[in-house]
Amino acid sequence: MYGYYDPPFSVEQEGIAISVEKVGEQWVYRRTLGTDSVEKIILGGGKRFIINPVEPLNTPKEITPNLLIEFEKTLLLSGGAKRKIFLKFPIEIGVFIADKGDKNLQLLDVLSLARQKFTLYGEVSNGVICKHWKSQIYSISPSPNPLQEGVMELTLRNASSDWASISKAVFSAYGMKLYYAGDVFMRARMDILNRNTAETGFEVQHISGELKSSPLKDFKARKEAFGVYSLQKLGLVPLKFYMGWGF
Amino acid sequence: MITYIDFLDIGLPTSSGTVTLGSVLKFIFILSFSTILAKIISIYLRRSLKNRVSKDMGETIIKLLYYGILTIVFLSNLHLIGINPSGFLLAGGVAGIILGFASQNIVGNLVSGVFLMIERPIKIGDQVQINDVSGYVTDIRIISTHIRTFEGLLVRIPNQQVFTTNITNIVGHPVRRFEYTIRIRYSDDANAAIFLIKDLIDKEPFALLNPSPSVFVNDLADSSVNINVRIWAPVNEWFGIKTRILWNIKQTLEENGIEIPLPQRIVRIQTDSKKVPEELMPGKEIESVINYEERVLA
Repeated sequence: MYGYYDPPFSVEQEGIAISVEKVGEQWVYRRTLGTDSVEKIILGGGKRFIINPVEPLNTPKEITPNLLIEFEKTLLLSGGAKRKIFLKFPIEIGVFIADKGDKNLQLLDVLSLARQKFTLYGEVSNGVICKHWKSQIYSISPSPNPLQEGVMELTLRNASSDWASISKAVFSAYGMKLYYAGDVFMRARMDILNRNTAETGFEVQHISGELKSSPLKDFKARKEAFGVYSLQKLGLVPLKFYMGWGF
Repeated sequence: MITYIDFLDIGLPTSSGTVTLGSVLKFIFILSFSTILAKIISIYLRRSLKNRVSKDMGETIIKLLYYGILTIVFLSNLHLIGINPSGFLLAGGVAGIILGFASQNIVGNLVSGVFLMIERPIKIGDQVQINDVSGYVTDIRIISTHIRTFEGLLVRIPNQQVFTTNITNIVGHPVRRFEYTIRIRYSDDANAAIFLIKDLIDKEPFALLNPSPSVFVNDLADSSVNINVRIWAPVNEWFGIKTRILWNIKQTLEENGIEIPLPQRIVRIQTDSKKVPEELMPGKEIESVINYEERVLA
């Protein structure tokens, strides 16, 4: 489903039906998912439509930019160690409209097949609301449904000298960089600073170059997805998340 | 012979001494410097108050501070240009006392307004309850706070009242809890009802996983088994969830044969063949009505 489309087009997969048709002098965008349907009128021609995975923080309503991934089993990392693990994370599907050359990008619609649930990270008085997702820990990259879940390569670094017991990680959507081809991929890191605090962030380098030698997707270049959060013209928004209430 | 004249020491006699050109320049310099300083403070304040108070009120505070600084500097340096400020200060002091007594409430509200801005128990846009008034804070002004009630009415509360009374900030924390009491019949399976309610909560995205919801039998009441449902939700979403989940619980329980009972009372009627009601015995006067007029109406 992911890719570039020139109107008119129609695409249907896993219960999602997206189409753009010409009705008279105008274009009509239609999308259905179960009982939920969206219809929008587009005035102006010469546009392209882009369907790609976006940050999983827009549906059912954008109330937080933070994603909390809870590990199914607690992970223990020795002091000073650095290890790489794989997790699954939820995907939302974004539909964008753009001029030729991907200019003047505008978000048209966001939908999700993933389960929606929120949680609080921290205290009731000053905690942070996060989108919640539960994932197993994988030593090699899993192969989830790319319309529902993506794969996160998470590098854990324990900068302290103590063992770290890790059961969750919180990420800020502002730093998320999603890449897609047959799958959806994201590369993140988590630095354990001390017994109770950690910092998470995303690797921003272009994946198509580096991952060509990666065992994940041999010689297959992924495309960088347009994000909903990266579209917003933001000032000094921290791209990292400081986990001050434990992990 | 060369005569050296120091222009800065040229004096002009006044009623309160001699004013030199140097002291006049010093006065101008101090005034200019304090103007620049007041401008810098105004810019800093404008930035720091940007999201704390409304623009109108922020500008009022900045102007008050700006002109306040200039007035104090001006008065305290008047002696440099040969003017004795004690007369001003005395007149100002007397006027201040008179005005102070006359505008006691206004000053009280003003001071409370300043403290409200410093302590910040409420912000513009917060949902609050102050005394019996509930609604959104639309403006915090120097003298009063404006509330738009949930019915859409504008209520102006003097700041002194806001500052000295209990304030409930409904959106002060990121999450809040709400609860229901669900009544089921004694004949229904409470465990099944709890399972169904927990399943509904699990399907609701905004019913938070942490703090976890709790569903438990709370009371064995006269007519029903009472199940208590406690759910945490994001503070801006709780009301929608509260109304949605309650109706879903009712429908789901009914679909599964669990009903909400009406209040009921069991009345047992015991029959005694030997006992005959007094009024039915022939020829016997009922004691309770004997001499009714004497006992009651006399």
